[in-house]
Amino acid sequence: MPEPENLSDPSDEHYEIFVQRFTRYEPDLRRFIGSLLPDWSDTDEVLQQTALVIWRKFDQYDPDTHFMKWACVIARFEALSYRRKMARDRLVFREELFELMADEGADEVSERRKELEALEVCLAEMPGKSRRFLTLAYTPGVKVKDMAEEAGSSAAAFYMRLKRLRRKLLSCVESKIQPVGNQG
Amino acid sequence: MKKEDFNELAAEERDWIDAWIDETIEPEEFDLLQDRMMASPALRRIVRRYQGINHALQSIHIEADSATGPWLVKEEEAPDSTWKEKIVAFPVFIPMAAVAALAFFFGLGLMYVTRSVDPGNQATTGGEKPSASGFAVIERIFDPVWEAASVSRQEGDLLGAENFVLQSGTAEIQFFSGATMTVEGPAEIEVKSAWEAVCREGLVRMQVPPAARGFKLQAPSAEIVDLGTEFGLEVRAGVENVEVFDGEILLHRDGQEAKSMKKGASLALSPEGTDGKVNFPNDERFEERSIDQRKIDFDSWKTHRDSLAKDQRLIAYYTFDRNGSGSRIPNLAMPRKPDTDGTFILAEPVAGRWPGLKGALEFRRPGSRMRMNLPGEFSAFSFVCWVRVDSLDRQYNALFMGDGYENGEPHWQIREDGKMMLSVMIDDSRPNPEWPKSGDRFHRVYFSPPIWDLSNSGEWMHLASVFDPVGKAVSHYVNGEQVSSQEIEPLYQVTEFRIGNAEVGNWGLPFRSDPNFAIRNLNGRMDEIAIFDAALSEAEIADLYEKSRSARR
Repeated sequence: MPEPENLSDPSDEHYEIFVQRFTRYEPDLRRFIGSLLPDWSDTDEVLQQTALVIWRKFDQYDPDTHFMKWACVIARFEALSYRRKMARDRLVFREELFELMADEGADEVSERRKELEALEVCLAEMPGKSRRFLTLAYTPGVKVKDMAEEAGSSAAAFYMRLKRLRRKLLSCVESKIQPVGNQG
Repeated sequence: MKKEDFNELAAEERDWIDAWIDETIEPEEFDLLQDRMMASPALRRIVRRYQGINHALQSIHIEADSATGPWLVKEEEAPDSTWKEKIVAFPVFIPMAAVAALAFFFGLGLMYVTRSVDPGNQATTGGEKPSASGFAVIERIFDPVWEAASVSRQEGDLLGAENFVLQSGTAEIQFFSGATMTVEGPAEIEVKSAWEAVCREGLVRMQVPPAARGFKLQAPSAEIVDLGTEFGLEVRAGVENVEVFDGEILLHRDGQEAKSMKKGASLALSPEGTDGKVNFPNDERFEERSIDQRKIDFDSWKTHRDSLAKDQRLIAYYTFDRNGSGSRIPNLAMPRKPDTDGTFILAEPVAGRWPGLKGALEFRRPGSRMRMNLPGEFSAFSFVCWVRVDSLDRQYNALFMGDGYENGEPHWQIREDGKMMLSVMIDDSRPNPEWPKSGDRFHRVYFSPPIWDLSNSGEWMHLASVFDPVGKAVSHYVNGEQVSSQEIEPLYQVTEFRIGNAEVGNWGLPFRSDPNFAIRNLNGRMDEIAIFDAALSEAEIADLYEKSRSARR
């Protein structure tokens, strides 16, 4: 079987910096992309593509500037071109809204991080049964629709419960990230 | 500043957002939602926040699986109020939350694997249809005695529509609906689906979470429909008893109206029954023994690890346990050489063979890899690892790969047809003299017979391959047993062995021209790999397997 020739040896140091930066900001990038696309596997794909492009262009990166800002520009572009590819999908925002969401989302990286921290606390505070239900509903490859179908009559109940729990979590997160006395 | 809360939104906006996330939104609604979003920065911000939470929830399984995620830890430390209430009412029957949750996730993991098997891919794995489907998995078994070796089972085995017969001992069966059965032998259980089973004999405790409500258990003289609860069933020599520990069940008997039984109720189904005095399998004790056994296995592995690390023939030994939260994986071979530590990228730290005790790295995502640099010249190669392959997605699925595949550098991988491959570059400056026009650089690949198909998905396996230039043979091993050994012909002699820059779980760097060829990430996880500058003997490989294995592979 043919093995392609090695194109060039990357400088180890260069690669180390890439690995170090990328690993550090990967969760932020994932959350950024994730706030734009409804589906987890879409997010995965865009993140993957973003990683490749970041590596390809890494020699253009100025180590003195903020990596996340630079990476967000690439991720935004990759997410947009992905959006165009799947524009037929009825769940994808129209382009002008998508761009608006991307631009605003890029400035909210630390906000997303705080929300995630709050979410972990909220989940821990949640009754075990609810948490397990959520885990089951969110197992990749298991769609609530399928779960509900298998359970027969209680399809609507599944959705209701999921929605209720998710909203509860959101409220909990909101209560933890927004300072008291800021209401009204 | 205006408060930007979900609850401040109009009711229809909240519903649209939920419908969008659940992928059930109607096109007209989606248009309206987008119009409102264009007009309202607050709405956009809330959608991003909500969607962020939605995505985080989707990654729960990863966190939970690693057994160090905040969810499990919290649950172990502080059972929530629901559990506390139950503790007051039924002290004996409280599942140890953390362990139960682990078992639960394990079952779900398998459900994912079996569901994600793409029928279109099955053709590529050979003529025989792999049997990766099942309705349940055997989570744990203790002190089992089998009627015959042919009906014996291992932990982790999948159960399809079939009988499970246990002469004595205790087993825990996790149905993919989410229901858990703990059964004490002598027992005969017939699995009919993820939602239905028959108990012909045995002491059974069923735990049915809300998601598995409606689970049916057929006893000889009645059918029990579980309405989300916990109950026990005894079927022994004509005696049948049922007892409801929590929640509610429906009892259907021939010619009679369905009877509802609630928490605390017990009933003798047969004339000789003795209601309420049955000692059903107690899963708290079961959990304790399970934890003990795992701890014993893990401790013995640690002893083995520490002694193996001193083997002077080791080039590298990685067990994928991290120090803190960094992305560095130490090379444990003594004396320590920090320059040869590995760094992982995109690979995910997950649970290893002893969840909660030992880590592993998962290379599921296309760019996942662990990189390292192993300088020096060697005289032979032996590669030994514990790996759990979920599927063979790529034409070549990397185990351990030299970066440039230059002279003396190894490629150890699994082909999509399940054959292990080991090759070492002989001369990268000229083509193979036997096929000068092939365009291939001069190397030879040594294959094993197929050692993996979809039925092995999710199973931990011990793989080893040895390149022995003195004995002039390349051998492959699975779980300590040699599966093939092939002569190295004079033309294909290798005289120099090197590694240099290399990767576990993938090959090359993402800038290569043909990503389809270059990306060889292994869809699975590895929890240790050892590379030797020596040709290990058959006995040594068998010994490494025995010493590093656990009771549950």
